Amino acid sequence: MGPSIHNASPEERPPARGWLASLGHEGIETWHVWASAIGLMAFALTSAFSPGRAAARSVRKVTLAQIFFTGAQGLPFVTATALVLGATMMLQMRVAAPGLPGEIVGKFLVTVVLREFAPLATAIIVASRSGTAIATEIGNMQASLEILGLSSMGIDSRRFVVLPRLVAVVTSVVVLMVYFGLLALLGAFALAAVFGSPDLAAIRSGLAETLVMPDLFLFAGKGVGCGALVAVTCCHYGMQVKGSITEVPLMTGKAVIRAVLGCVLFNFAATLLYYSLVGTPAAQM
Amino acid sequence: MAEGLTLRAVTFRRGHVTVLLRQSLTVPRGGTLLVTGANGVGKSSLMQLAAGLVRPDEGEVHINGISADSAHPDELVGAGVRRAFVFQQGGLVANLSALNNVALPLRYHADTLGLTDAVIEDRARFCLGAVGIEGPPIHALPGRLSFGIAKRVAFARAMAIEPNYAFFDDPDAGLDHENAQVVQDILTSYRDDPGVTLVLASNHRALIERLGVPVHELVDGRLVRIDMATMAPSSLV
Repeated sequence: MGPSIHNASPEERPPARGWLASLGHEGIETWHVWASAIGLMAFALTSAFSPGRAAARSVRKVTLAQIFFTGAQGLPFVTATALVLGATMMLQMRVAAPGLPGEIVGKFLVTVVLREFAPLATAIIVASRSGTAIATEIGNMQASLEILGLSSMGIDSRRFVVLPRLVAVVTSVVVLMVYFGLLALLGAFALAAVFGSPDLAAIRSGLAETLVMPDLFLFAGKGVGCGALVAVTCCHYGMQVKGSITEVPLMTGKAVIRAVLGCVLFNFAATLLYYSLVGTPAAQM
Repeated sequence: MAEGLTLRAVTFRRGHVTVLLRQSLTVPRGGTLLVTGANGVGKSSLMQLAAGLVRPDEGEVHINGISADSAHPDELVGAGVRRAFVFQQGGLVANLSALNNVALPLRYHADTLGLTDAVIEDRARFCLGAVGIEGPPIHALPGRLSFGIAKRVAFARAMAIEPNYAFFDDPDAGLDHENAQVVQDILTSYRDDPGVTLVLASNHRALIERLGVPVHELVDGRLVRIDMATMAPSSLV
């Protein structure tokens, strides 16, 4: 006898969602993901204070390896991207507004390159490079019972697996972001030097005039926030793999898309907060 | 509270399979629970549940009087529970060599267990040697090891912690006769150790007969004690 296949009749199928319902469904799911991810981050951070010097030593070792992987190994890619992006920005400004004074160019470099591009581009680079690796690795660990294996040995996976990746990604994003900003400026200055305009001293003056102390807090806030978002989202989705290795690519894709989206939204919110507290550049002039 | 493993009115479902339905049981300290049952009935899930690796849908699992699904597994070690688990397949850390896999729990709990680095290395090598693994394989990653060697590495890791609660899921499956004998010797020694509470799942008649302990069959979410002499289950091989 052949297989018995029963297809749901149109009456039995769930009604198709309208766009508003789909948006609501997506919003609720996103909220659940963030709530669960924040819970994971809280558990991981509190686990840092669990007793056990030897355990802390093991976690430190894993953290250093992760910092090397995320930060140090990411340097060449960040270097190339930052230099080219900075030079491209300068090229665009020269093409779109050839007579633009150097002071304005300097101001533009601070507001666009340092305050926006550096944090966001760094977070996207780290998400696409290390975020995929984290989600894939943890997903595979779930599928191959490594996480349960750790638990069976009395090793808390939130402490041994999530915490090192969280610390490493946050540290790496903050450091790489500063590095990205400096190299992007170098790329912009190099192109201006090649073309002979705008005047480099005028650009420097615009930079110095626009950069203010609160930028330090904006930089730190964006770096820590974006780093934490990338790490915790990718760890969360990796942990969502239940039993099959075929779930890993699916979860990895979801992880990176949501991490990047989260960083874009967070970056926007941080900028709004910054200008509402510090004032806009026009108001500062 | 009494030492040993206790399940109280536990219900656990995995997918469409009801692994346990309001099941209570106690394995006293030093006791052995041997579970058999047809494929897909939930023996592996039962093992993970009993070891506190997964949470029951209802009811409680206690090891040494401590909730086994503790939010922080390292608390169990701090409370004197040295738990070992050998999965049917997998469970080794993929990016650590066989030697480092065996040493991992010892390094992680070195201060709780009072171990020095030298002792850890020696003990890890000794346990690997006890299951017949020496030479180059001890430095190989699990992905490079055959199924049988990887399974024995998992055994060595379980032995290294000197467990007082040992869980083995199909322990001699996939091993050749000689290595299956080694594993059976180890399991027999755990069975005879009054300090070790042993829980294992197997359908292997040879292992079950060698252990000679009461056998429970997992059927429809219930553990039913069976008399091997008169009603050995058909699932045995």
